[in-house]
Amino acid sequence: MLVRAAPWINVLRDFPSIAIGLAIVLGYAALALLAPWIAPMDPIRVHADAVLAPPSARFLLGTDGNGMDLFSRIIYGSRYAFGIAVPAVLLSIVIGLPVGLWAGYRGGWVDEILLRSMDLLRVFPSIILALTIVAATGQSIINVILVIGLLDAPIFARMVRAEILALRGGILIESARAIGNGTGRMLFVHVLPNSISGALTQISVRMAWAIRVSATLAFVGIGIQQPTPEWGAMIRQGAEYMVTGEWWVALFPGLALVTLVFGLNLLADGIQDWMGRRRTQR
Amino acid sequence: MLVQLFRFLLRRLAVSLPLVVAVVFVTFMLVRIGGGDPVALLAGPTASSEEHAAIRAGLGLDKSPIEQFGIYVVRAARGDLGQSWLSTKQVIDEIRNRAFVSLELLLWGVAIGAMVGIPAGARAAARRGSLYDQVVRAVSLAGFSIPTYWLGLIAILTFFYALDLAPAPMGRLNPTLITPDRITGSYLIDAVLRGQWEVARSALSHLVLPVLTVAVVACAPIMKHTRAIASEIVDSEFIRFARASGLGERCIRRMVLRNSMVPVLTFMGIEIVGLLGTSSLIELIFSWGGIGQWGLQSILNGDFAAIQGYVLFAALLSVVVFIVIDAANYVLEPRGRERM
Repeated sequence: MLVRAAPWINVLRDFPSIAIGLAIVLGYAALALLAPWIAPMDPIRVHADAVLAPPSARFLLGTDGNGMDLFSRIIYGSRYAFGIAVPAVLLSIVIGLPVGLWAGYRGGWVDEILLRSMDLLRVFPSIILALTIVAATGQSIINVILVIGLLDAPIFARMVRAEILALRGGILIESARAIGNGTGRMLFVHVLPNSISGALTQISVRMAWAIRVSATLAFVGIGIQQPTPEWGAMIRQGAEYMVTGEWWVALFPGLALVTLVFGLNLLADGIQDWMGRRRTQR
Repeated sequence: MLVQLFRFLLRRLAVSLPLVVAVVFVTFMLVRIGGGDPVALLAGPTASSEEHAAIRAGLGLDKSPIEQFGIYVVRAARGDLGQSWLSTKQVIDEIRNRAFVSLELLLWGVAIGAMVGIPAGARAAARRGSLYDQVVRAVSLAGFSIPTYWLGLIAILTFFYALDLAPAPMGRLNPTLITPDRITGSYLIDAVLRGQWEVARSALSHLVLPVLTVAVVACAPIMKHTRAIASEIVDSEFIRFARASGLGERCIRRMVLRNSMVPVLTFMGIEIVGLLGTSSLIELIFSWGGIGQWGLQSILNGDFAAIQGYVLFAALLSVVVFIVIDAANYVLEPRGRERM
């Protein structure tokens, strides 16, 4: 639907930010998938003879306070980044799209609840909400995913809702109804494909957000704990070594996190430009 | 005009307060239903079941969560937010002592972030596609992607460990100095007011790193949004008309700036609220001792009353921020008054 006018290779050439962003994200995805083959060591194996060893030929990025190989841990960390962000964003789409469709198409109490929960998220720092809820409801990866997904769902819902409000009263809905479509078929077959482009551009941004939040939770010490090779948890461990000079423990996991989040944001930025261009061409 | 403004603000307050109650209610219930059992923690491993029951009753945890919430609301209305179980201090005192400490960090950070971000974003919008614009976009994208706490750690590594320019990230004052007598709660301002220059210098040097970290984090989104908002206005009909009718660049720049103020201010409100969370992380790293650090610690410890106090403080502060921004918009933008 989107690539009709321009083959993908042209898009990549015209929008370098899409190309670079995509390359970064796919690179990390490959790391996550192939971690056992790429990582030189077991990420949670203790090398008792080399605790806090600086980067060297044996340990490319050094070892942490437990004597675990940072390079291998960072590679395995990409599994946690994607493993949390992908299901969390999927969850928020699965909840957000139908709610947004219904709220935009029908209005009523669904719409009212959606708007109120949007207000709630707007007037309250979501990171504090996430921290409190995960800490209170039991600190497991599943809970981290659920909380991030739920906090993000209204954002997708609102976006779809806004696009539908723009369509409502237009010829599309009127004619779809005129040829005898039921509400469900109408929403999912006719309205959804026409209102989904805004939601698609957001996936990348929301992935970046989800990765950041899950790492932040782990950094504070909520959710994922050492010795799980998760980037935020690794930075947490490295924080105390910053004042004593073992800089590699927190620096490298942070760089890994920044690069992936930057890639996702760059990709989103590029897609937005591309969509904007397409809109003006039409 | 003043009466109208007042009525408008009251209406906004009436809309926001239910949201505060909702936030407090949701966290209150979740903490009590899902949370660990503090009684076992407080009683210790050797306590008998009678002692457990006595502690539970003493904390008021033997009642149903709804009843507990009712009691909490009634007490909170009188200014009693309960006491922290671990420190046994009154939550309201903790908040009173720590609020300004946190606000000092947050407000300096936001102010510097805005002073850099707004002009940079506006200039980028005026010269779209130029090298300057590209740099602003790249910088704001990078700023978006860097986790606050990690940036703070890198700052500590660079300026404390490697260059030895900044003091150790342990609190707000050199521990050998005596804290100035309290006037506002900000060591810097209090020391200046009392003429204690050495203390003021130490307070300032402790402020620099955390404030700059907050400023960098605040700056990126402000820059990005200012650029987007100003671009839209530069492209709008009335500016094109103004340009076509031969108005000078300076005049046009002023029109663009004035029309950008309201959306930029509104965005700043959202930004400050978001920063309440991120600056808590900065406090943690620099052992700042404000509400944020205390709140995060309470969350980790499962200290119910303190968590509730932190959440309530954040919610109330957000409401205040939004109302101040609304008031500013009301004054700046006559057009929007009816629909607000």
